[in-house]
Amino acid sequence: MKHFIGLVGTNSDHSTNRQLLQFIQSHFREHATIELMEIKSLPVFNKPEDSSVPTDVKEMAEKIEQADGVIISTPEYDHAVPASLMNALNWLSYGIYPFVDKPVMITGASYGTLGSSRAQAHLRQILDAPELKARIMPSSEFLLAHSLQAFNEDNQLVDPEQIEKLEGLFADFVIFVDLVTQLVHAHGSNKKAAENFSWDNL
Amino acid sequence: MKFVGIVGSNAELSYNRKLLQFIKTQYQDLFELDVVEIKDIPMFNQSDDQTNTAPIQQLNQKILAADGVIIATPEHNHTISAGLKSVLEWLSFKIHPLENKPVMIVGASYYDQGSSRAQLHLRQILDAPGVNAIVMPGNEFLLGKVKEKFDENDQLTDTNTVKFLQGVLEKFVDFVRLVNRLEARKEEPLPKEDLYVTDTIETTIECVDMAAEDWVEQAAAKVNAVEGDTYVKLNRGILTVDQINTFLASMPMELTYADDNNQFLYYNYTKEAEDMLADRVPGQVGNPLALCHPERSLTSVEWVIQQLRSGRQDVVRVHVPTHGPDKFVVHNYQAMHDDEGNYKGINEYILDFKPIVDWYLQQTGLRLEGEIDAGSGASQQDHGVDAGSGASAKA
Repeated sequence: MKHFIGLVGTNSDHSTNRQLLQFIQSHFREHATIELMEIKSLPVFNKPEDSSVPTDVKEMAEKIEQADGVIISTPEYDHAVPASLMNALNWLSYGIYPFVDKPVMITGASYGTLGSSRAQAHLRQILDAPELKARIMPSSEFLLAHSLQAFNEDNQLVDPEQIEKLEGLFADFVIFVDLVTQLVHAHGSNKKAAENFSWDNL
Repeated sequence: MKFVGIVGSNAELSYNRKLLQFIKTQYQDLFELDVVEIKDIPMFNQSDDQTNTAPIQQLNQKILAADGVIIATPEHNHTISAGLKSVLEWLSFKIHPLENKPVMIVGASYYDQGSSRAQLHLRQILDAPGVNAIVMPGNEFLLGKVKEKFDENDQLTDTNTVKFLQGVLEKFVDFVRLVNRLEARKEEPLPKEDLYVTDTIETTIECVDMAAEDWVEQAAAKVNAVEGDTYVKLNRGILTVDQINTFLASMPMELTYADDNNQFLYYNYTKEAEDMLADRVPGQVGNPLALCHPERSLTSVEWVIQQLRSGRQDVVRVHVPTHGPDKFVVHNYQAMHDDEGNYKGINEYILDFKPIVDWYLQQTGLRLEGEIDAGSGASQQDHGVDAGSGASAKA
């Protein structure tokens, strides 16, 4: 059985993205164990000169290293990823590289009709940056629009079409994780590029 | 023209900060640039609204008062810094100071890209409905390999880059004029001002006739106001009331305080009305602003207060040539704000600054060019704010 991290892409107390990950966690419990990870407590990233990262971040990085993959669910603030998620990813790529070659699936929920489409496109670009270099599942988008109306009181998605779509994507992700383990040829150089990436050695 | 320059990084060493500081000094003939930092702004969290804290409100006020904004963005992980994104989230949550504000994007990065991807993201973010800035199209300024670009005095060394940047900034100044002309047309009329003070605020001393000649004495008795050698704790210091009076009396200008309820509360009374640049008499203190101005100038008074209260202007200045060529008299109506940025009234200071100019010219050997035209009108003629609109003892 696979083990995944479900990264909640916001620091908000109430979040339909958290709800979506909780749904995924329980709906696919026979296929994978999923641990939800919060980003709320992290300080604002400020490129500390001694390259130190907070203990919380180190623990998060360790868990991501251990996991087979990461599912990130992002809201959309101002056409982009929330600052709090960008902040978490900045910390998680500062002298530590838990995302390099890590399989990642992106989901997102929004109150309106677009379902965080633009934030997801940004997130793909961000995860492609040299210090992150995640293996993002291609051609897969899960946009949950009108998310306040999307769940019933038992936290189940009410639209069977959405559930079917998510089941398809999740089954693909499990295969994608295995596929990625075969994509070893660039791994060495990816890792090296991330480690060599330095703000100062120019 | 006044711009705010936002340093898009909270790092201690930032080349984007250097870039803005360079722009500020190198192109000071084009505009005035106030370089602001974002490091005191907390991480945005919609469950913990901190819109009304000092750092966010100060930035809000500065942006509202500026003609345009220049944002210098670094690139972290192919996008803008989390710190800058957090600031933009605060500025699009409960308040929207960037709405219809002309914005220009510049950016510097250590590598070749010069923050190209971050700049594109930033454009999309500034276009979002809650932000709604008007971003200057085209005219990208990408400063790559930035560590090689500045000399030890933080000056850009490449003359072509300096020339190119000048061209882009000149276009931005034109762009700001264009946008402001578009926006001026649809500016909402501002709410009426209560010049007769029919309402009270927290600090109003109630049950004393505001028009009374001895309002000060009556009001002081009412609230047991301290005086004489009683100590008052201030930010930052302690003075007695006598010392405060001595201090304010020594200011080389006529100072007047009107609160945000449009009540005239104080002036630094040192001279009789006939010796003042704008005449005041002790009995006027306490008046609603309508009572200490002539009827014909109340529209101008209202216009000035509306500008200051709304934040459209931080200060309204009027030069008053009627004192003749021997004086350079300017009436300044400066908006006052508390730590949270709330409008708190007008600090009106009136001075003849010719002695300062004369001294400066003598010290530096510089000379004023052109004739001093004592007959020219006040600069705010459109709104009828002229020499006659000041508070007047003859009203």
